[in-house]
Amino acid sequence: MNARLKGSRYSRLGFALVAIAFVAAVAAPGLAPHAIDDQFPGLLNAPPTLPHVQDDAGSWHAPFIYRWQLVNQLEQQYEADRSARVPLAWFSGGRLLGSTDDRRAPLLLLGADSFGRDVFSRLLFGARISLSLAAVAAIGAMLIGAGIGGIAGYAGGMTDDVLMRATDFVMVLPAMYVVLALRAVLPPVLAPAVVFSLLAGIFAVVGAPFIARGVRAIVRTERGLDYAAAAQALGASDARLLVRHLLPAAGGFIAVEMTLLVPAFIVAEATLSYVGLGFPDPVASWGTMLHDAANIRFADFPWLLSPAAAMFVVVLGLNLALERRASGIESLR
Amino acid sequence: MTRLTRKLALCFVCAAAVAALTAGCGSKPASEGGATSAPSIPVTRGGELLASIRTDPQTFNRYTQRDSSTLLVATLTQAPLVRLNRVTQEIEPWLAEKWSVSDHGQTFTLTLRRDVVFSDGHPFTADDVLFSFAAAYDDRTGGPLTDALKVAGKKLEVKATDPHTVVIRFPVPFAPGLRILDNLPILPRHTLEAAFNAGTFAKAWSTSTPPADLAGLGPFVLAEYTSGQRLVFTRNPRYFRRAPDGGPLPYLDRVTLDIIPDASAELLRLESGQLDSLTSEISSEAYAPIKRAADAGTVKLLDLGVSYNADALWFNLKPGALGNDPRAAWLQRDELRRAISMAVDRKVYADTVFLGAGVPVYGPETPANTEWFWNGPVTPYDPAGAKLFLTELGLEDRNHDGILEDKSGRPARFTVLTQKGRPNLERGAKVISDELKKVGLQVDVVTLDAGAIYAAVISAHYDAVFFNTDKTDSDPAINPDYWLSSGSAHFWNLEQKTPATEWERQLDALMAKQSASADHAERKRLYDEMQKIFAQHLPMLYFAAPRIYVAHSTRMTNLTPSVWRPQLLWSPDTIAVTSTARKN
Repeated sequence: MNARLKGSRYSRLGFALVAIAFVAAVAAPGLAPHAIDDQFPGLLNAPPTLPHVQDDAGSWHAPFIYRWQLVNQLEQQYEADRSARVPLAWFSGGRLLGSTDDRRAPLLLLGADSFGRDVFSRLLFGARISLSLAAVAAIGAMLIGAGIGGIAGYAGGMTDDVLMRATDFVMVLPAMYVVLALRAVLPPVLAPAVVFSLLAGIFAVVGAPFIARGVRAIVRTERGLDYAAAAQALGASDARLLVRHLLPAAGGFIAVEMTLLVPAFIVAEATLSYVGLGFPDPVASWGTMLHDAANIRFADFPWLLSPAAAMFVVVLGLNLALERRASGIESLR
Repeated sequence: MTRLTRKLALCFVCAAAVAALTAGCGSKPASEGGATSAPSIPVTRGGELLASIRTDPQTFNRYTQRDSSTLLVATLTQAPLVRLNRVTQEIEPWLAEKWSVSDHGQTFTLTLRRDVVFSDGHPFTADDVLFSFAAAYDDRTGGPLTDALKVAGKKLEVKATDPHTVVIRFPVPFAPGLRILDNLPILPRHTLEAAFNAGTFAKAWSTSTPPADLAGLGPFVLAEYTSGQRLVFTRNPRYFRRAPDGGPLPYLDRVTLDIIPDASAELLRLESGQLDSLTSEISSEAYAPIKRAADAGTVKLLDLGVSYNADALWFNLKPGALGNDPRAAWLQRDELRRAISMAVDRKVYADTVFLGAGVPVYGPETPANTEWFWNGPVTPYDPAGAKLFLTELGLEDRNHDGILEDKSGRPARFTVLTQKGRPNLERGAKVISDELKKVGLQVDVVTLDAGAIYAAVISAHYDAVFFNTDKTDSDPAINPDYWLSSGSAHFWNLEQKTPATEWERQLDALMAKQSASADHAERKRLYDEMQKIFAQHLPMLYFAAPRIYVAHSTRMTNLTPSVWRPQLLWSPDTIAVTSTARKN
């Protein structure tokens, strides 16, 4: 009982983490204090500007920040100008929170990157790209995988053999090399939407076999059960039998696989962007943010690791959420 | 692959292999964080120096490659007839102990040192010099030295009058004179002649050659090479140079080059005392942690001044290269490059790319090259002026989307190729892109491997390239490939049969005059004229040159740092280390 309760709590925590990430992504335009390409030239790699409510004299105020002053440009050292408070403005300019002096003292909740762009804003907008790409790719993988697996399991024989060998072929392909080769034959300049479609398509194809193999096994088993024979005897067509009766039996499996694929695709996007095959500048994704920070010493500028932290949180959340689903399937068995 | 393509490939690969980027050279060494330069304490003999390189050498045969690792191996194991002192920029007697000049400066008679032997004990004579020139000039060698040792496109005439006297005649008067020989390490005829005669010299001394089969006149001999891991050099007991106290050189017993591809790992090892030296400058991002380490006394940090080289943006100016592309009407015009020069704020560029440790640059010479720098008019940061030039090209924001369009409504958009994995180039290209966006030009930055960029430049299939084009010498006469329209480093329009433009024809004529003149003041005047013409047409756009910082362990002494790469190891025979143990 305790274990189930604990598992349930973890699962809820997982859902909460994922939900927060998705809400943040959807609400990015309102939550982000800046646009993704807003630059503050005097604040390259500046540390986070933490909101305060109490000044050095101990007086309480509405939330405010201190302005960063560049002390040593080459050593990237900043000091807070504590002589003047910069109040924060709520619901100003269509954004939840921002500085009242954006030009001199912008709100940088997670610091700035090496081009002086707000890491927090880029993190939120990056979540849109990274999470939606992973979600779209996972849905694509589900559609392709369920279709191939369902047909193979239902038809059997030569069709089964051909489709399963095809999935085997895709599974043994080194995905990174496939992407590199594909990218090499495409024009060097691609619009972000094309990159999105391309990556989503590749991820879907690469992820589909994992779903197809499981679905095929389930459909093949289910097809021999009495309810399937009954449906067929009542005149259900092959398509109806497959889609309405057999594939739903694989629903739990598909859900688990998709939950596994989403974090894998998030990491894959980051990996591809890290090696320069992702989205063009200034589009922000978690991977491109890590790519931009690749030559920076993270020990000196730890806020630049925030995309990695965000990925960790989302992947953890998905795994915690999956825990319950997996144990549910286990108990059913 | 033609010689041109090979040479350009080598040029790009060289730059690629050196991931530490912007090559340096510069002014007088200043010091910071406890720098050392001159020997203020007694020099200790013996000990091991552990340095790092980023990539394996491509070969042990310097005549066929010029990647930075191959060059360093040659510096350690070979010796030239004369050496260019990287600090004073003067040539010094090396294997040639003296020389005389005749025939109005066209003929040099070199007296070779006696009693010099190769590391395998074989005597060094004029035959080795003749063999080395023959190997360098042989078309089958096809390496970077073949063209580098030519003057006005012609070979030097080399003959030996006795085993210790060599006469070198230049085809035309050549102001830098023997300076050109610094590039040529003298190779052992007795070891390599068979390969040369068999036509396999270009493949000789590959990295699979057992170290025992190599022989040289340099201070060290290669003792061990493990691919991807390290090269170990031991002292050459037969080395010809002596220390000021009459004792043998080199001071060090052993030099180990660890191959560390990752810059961060390299720096961490230096900071933790597991490495004595890097072979190139540190990046701007690495300055802060290294400065802290220097302040803590664990490393020494040197400020060597401003680099002689700056990253350059150039457009494809080959006539007809754009075919029917309608952008040809404006993409190859001088006005576009003038507009770009005015639209990029060089201070922002230096602040962003070099974290402020850089100076604005407007032409091919940086202020570091005090001897040849033309102090001409400075291009102001003037976006409004830039827009006027763009308007002259017919580029206007016709649909008010912030991007200019040509007369037929096509956006003013072009692609800039730059090298992947080189932060200065990637960030520089981003700054240029951002700055040009402000005046309505849309720039797509594409990062590629050096090989892909080289292929694009060779085939003239590109809009623009942003790259580092390192000079190899401060003297312009040593860089004819860059200036001459027929040159293989005349990047904007390679190896022209006849000059494509009148101003390139003028540059060719001025280059020929200045490299032949014996009057230094006249050479300077002519070179100023060349830089002036360059500034009027801006075939290559320069924005800023970085300051060069290098770091080394506190064990290293007797250093003579230079802004030229390798800043510390260019004179390996006089480097010493203290007896302090290094961490392992």
